[in-house]
Amino acid sequence: MNGVSGERSKGIVLRSMVGLVVAMLSLPTVIVIGASFTAGEIIRFPPDGLSLRWYSELWQLDDFRQALWRTFHVSIICTLISIPVGTLAALASVRTRFRFGGLVRIYLLLPFTIPLVVSGLSLMTLFGHARILGQLWPVGVGLCVINLPFMIWSVSASVNHLDPELENAASSCGAPPVQAFLTVTLPAVAPGIITGALLMFILAFNEFLVSLFLTDSRTVTLPVQIYNSIRSVITPDLAAVSVLYIVIAVLAIWLLDRLVGLEIFLKSR
Amino acid sequence: MSDDRHPHPVPLAWRLLDRIEGLVAALWPFRSGLAVGRAFLLPAVLLVGLLLAGLGIMLEHSMHELSLATYRLKPEYSAANYLTFLERPVYIHVLMRTLLAAVIVTLVTITLAFPYAYVLVRTRSRSARKFLLVALFLPFFIGQVVRAYGWLIILGKEGILSTFLTRFGIDPPGMIYNYPAVIFGLIQYMLPFAILLIVPAITAISEEVELASEGLGARWPSTFRHVVLPMASPGIVGASVVVFTLTLTDFAMPEILGGGKNDFIANLIYDSFFQISDPGLGSALSIILVAVGSILVAGVFHLAGPGTLGVRGVRP
Repeated sequence: MNGVSGERSKGIVLRSMVGLVVAMLSLPTVIVIGASFTAGEIIRFPPDGLSLRWYSELWQLDDFRQALWRTFHVSIICTLISIPVGTLAALASVRTRFRFGGLVRIYLLLPFTIPLVVSGLSLMTLFGHARILGQLWPVGVGLCVINLPFMIWSVSASVNHLDPELENAASSCGAPPVQAFLTVTLPAVAPGIITGALLMFILAFNEFLVSLFLTDSRTVTLPVQIYNSIRSVITPDLAAVSVLYIVIAVLAIWLLDRLVGLEIFLKSR
Repeated sequence: MSDDRHPHPVPLAWRLLDRIEGLVAALWPFRSGLAVGRAFLLPAVLLVGLLLAGLGIMLEHSMHELSLATYRLKPEYSAANYLTFLERPVYIHVLMRTLLAAVIVTLVTITLAFPYAYVLVRTRSRSARKFLLVALFLPFFIGQVVRAYGWLIILGKEGILSTFLTRFGIDPPGMIYNYPAVIFGLIQYMLPFAILLIVPAITAISEEVELASEGLGARWPSTFRHVVLPMASPGIVGASVVVFTLTLTDFAMPEILGGGKNDFIANLIYDSFFQISDPGLGSALSIILVAVGSILVAGVFHLAGPGTLGVRGVRP
């Protein structure tokens, strides 16, 4: 009953489902890459020849170039804020026994439980009251707030795997608190910090909805610029911008794999 | 020791560190772990507090009706915005459309994500695992707008699929700007989230349990149904909650793939703010969306526990 034929049917079923999901996941990426190299004015299949013209045309569009730099700008602000804030919060929320520890953890998950559209509007309303809309740094702060749980999550996973006895050993060997923190705690949680920082950067780089609310025509960032440029006629210039996103995603995945290994996401929590 | 050019080698880093120690000790006289913990937590609490502060202002705005004479919110409190939601059938209709989408997307996404997560964990081939991980992370790291744009190229009126079908003499059906297109785009968007949340639950299942079930004569579909699925339920609960809430609150897919005729609640909120310029009504709709989402999630957690979403606390 079991044995070879059972194994085989299981293999066939699983493999075909996984194949379907891989196709669904990859199709838009593959198509966008293909479309960006077309020589024609519109995207057609088969394409009207191959060229790099849309890449060079794109580079000459000031709007897109500036939007790209702004996107880097806000993503870096977001990442730089999230590293210390998220690391310290993760250490505290895992290690310290607070009286309302459960509530604190739920509170820190609020950015995930409040819908993005509401978070974006609430930050827009708040920043509007504070008269800081129209600048780039509040956008970075906003993106940091909405994704902060990712940072806390990543670092918490590392903290959970760190034996507190190591730090106790450091202090009983005479290391003062700051030294113990810098030489024992930080290196031990570094994989979590790296994972979290990469996630924060890439998510900020991609965030569309909250950026839509926090930017205006002078501070528009790339995801919003792409959205604004999507028309019913599909032109290949947007495909070229999208390829830029794909390249950055590939770089981030490569870095993540090199620095901590993608398999870190397969661990049971 | 390390630097033999100096007679008394105290590395600069050590001296610097001593200074910092002194400074910290002077600035932070507390010895208790609780005080340190509170100080560590403070920046994150303040940052998340920005969100709550904004939400507080929105709650306040939601209780003021828009004056059509001045196009400002009237100073007196009223429940008019909430009544508008209840009285106009369009809002309930859109809420139902959004909820239905959330249910469909959750069911399909979990069904597709589960075998993927299972193979990802169980495969013996290192290269297959790497391939599946990259195939998963690539779309995860490419935002919603770019992915929706990819689907526009494929499914659009002059898109690749249409041209392809026309070539074979098939009149292409409208594949874009309708409800199924939105659902399809959302499923593709949610797959990585679902897989990443199911994976830890499957990792936690020992392979020997499955072997034992098969050794006792169960065929693999029964093993899957009676052993793997129940044991992976924390992952399924976690993934369902995330996919459901993300769909319930999505804006970009209905906006880009729905063509204006398949709006979700988020699109109505956007329109209240930026099309009809009524921040009172938009705030009320936002508060309703938060309430509906929270009540549903709380219900699931109450029935099934937080699954893989639970944040682990202090070790026992």
